[in-house]
Amino acid sequence: MSAAVYLDYAASWPVHPGVAAAMADCLAPDGPHANPSSAHAAGRRAAAAIEAARAAVAALVGAQPASIVFTSGATESDNLAVLGAARAGRPRGRHLVASRIEHRAVVDACRQLEREGFELSWLHPGPAGRIEPWQVEEVLRPDTLLVSVMHGNNETGVLNDVAAIGAACCARGVLLHVDAAQSVGKLPLDVTAWQADLVAFTAHKLGGPKGIGALYMRPQPRPAIHPLQFGGGQERGYRPGTLATHQIVGFGVACDLAGADLEAEAARVRGLRERLWQGLQAAGGVWRNGAAEPSLPGILNVGFAGIEGESLRLALEDVVLASSGSACSSASAEPSHVLKALGLSDLGCQASLRLSLGRWTTTAEVDSVAAAIVAAVVRLRGIAPAAAPERIR
Amino acid sequence: LTPAGDYSALVRRLFAAPAHAGSLAPGPVPVRAAEAIALDRGAWLQITARLQAGQVVEARFLAWGCPHFLAACELVAAGLEGRPLARAAAVDPRALARQLEAPPEKLGRLLVIEDALRELAAAAAAPQ
Repeated sequence: MSAAVYLDYAASWPVHPGVAAAMADCLAPDGPHANPSSAHAAGRRAAAAIEAARAAVAALVGAQPASIVFTSGATESDNLAVLGAARAGRPRGRHLVASRIEHRAVVDACRQLEREGFELSWLHPGPAGRIEPWQVEEVLRPDTLLVSVMHGNNETGVLNDVAAIGAACCARGVLLHVDAAQSVGKLPLDVTAWQADLVAFTAHKLGGPKGIGALYMRPQPRPAIHPLQFGGGQERGYRPGTLATHQIVGFGVACDLAGADLEAEAARVRGLRERLWQGLQAAGGVWRNGAAEPSLPGILNVGFAGIEGESLRLALEDVVLASSGSACSSASAEPSHVLKALGLSDLGCQASLRLSLGRWTTTAEVDSVAAAIVAAVVRLRGIAPAAAPERIR
Repeated sequence: LTPAGDYSALVRRLFAAPAHAGSLAPGPVPVRAAEAIALDRGAWLQITARLQAGQVVEARFLAWGCPHFLAACELVAAGLEGRPLARAAAVDPRALARQLEAPPEKLGRLLVIEDALRELAAAAAAPQ
């Protein structure tokens, strides 16, 4: 194999060449470089580019353009939604609901709110890795302000039924925030059908640039949100600061490109993922973390009995670029909080790999990676005590 | 996958081709076996040695652990051969860590090797 295969799309996508070209045009001397808040012609040109991008983002998720607020990414969107809605709702109650499998952007924001005196109900997934709507209904209280449940999990790819959760929240007058960072551009989304109040997106997980994302805010009734930043009044005051025209344009083009063949591409990637899963069966002692369906098309999280994670990573460093069962954010050896929530042991987490496929993944890559992983697992098991597969899982 | 670049050339070489990985079957020359296991520290070692007149004529290991640990097991198994077990088994985990340029947090699992060798020496000293 000449170069390591990139199977870390859930962490970030390569920028689509069409996106890079549109952004380069934006940054060219004759591009829309003026401040989009300026009233002169050049400013209006930049503002028009931004509004076109806003419309593209909105169209991809079934929203009205006016309901889209640009942010720096999903982390900021999640923070703005969770912190902003809770703080704005404080006079009505202090109870919040979130799942244990949320991204750190939500988990850590909720922990901050606990320090501020809010009370959290944490929902634990079953072995399938899913949060069931009845679990949400069970913990709702008269003073519940907000429920935060992600759509597609970033580590397992498992999808939650956010439409059913949205119906339960809507019936009780509780705000619903959905982190859809992984599912936007991978699956058809309709945030209005979800009855969600706040939905977080990011550009770099669908071929757009890093540093730009969006928060959908339900237009009617619009949820009360306290901003996290002040000054300037851009984005209706929810996210002030000069808008990054080139980033936003890149996000918009990425949405247009993703929307053009969304269902066909989802089916292609899902097929490749299952091919990879089948290919890995040759190793034996392989398990899948989280249910196979319903799921995001491109994420496969697998564990290998009897394998030590760090050795597997070194054995595969020239083969595949992927993520381990350690914390997704870094080289930390801490077991993934998501896999732990699914009931895996620390050793089982360490023995797991997240392989995530996307736009540029090919059949040949999948086949070569599967064969190389099987070979590495067989080799490492061959030098391990015979009982390792029974003890390490 | 992380971390990609945190291993010395020696660790990479021993990890990629551990010549002493395996186990010894009993034969005319006696084989002694020992095991040390500390899964919570990320280390599990089984070592077998063929002994003749107190000398290790052949040594093999089976191990589960990180690349530093596997490399250390290979170094130690190779170092046992051709030497009196009593002397060869007196391994210094800190010296191993220095030789492999292992980070300080790996020392705990290298101590497991010391435990296994102590058990091997005890097994060799025990009557058949």
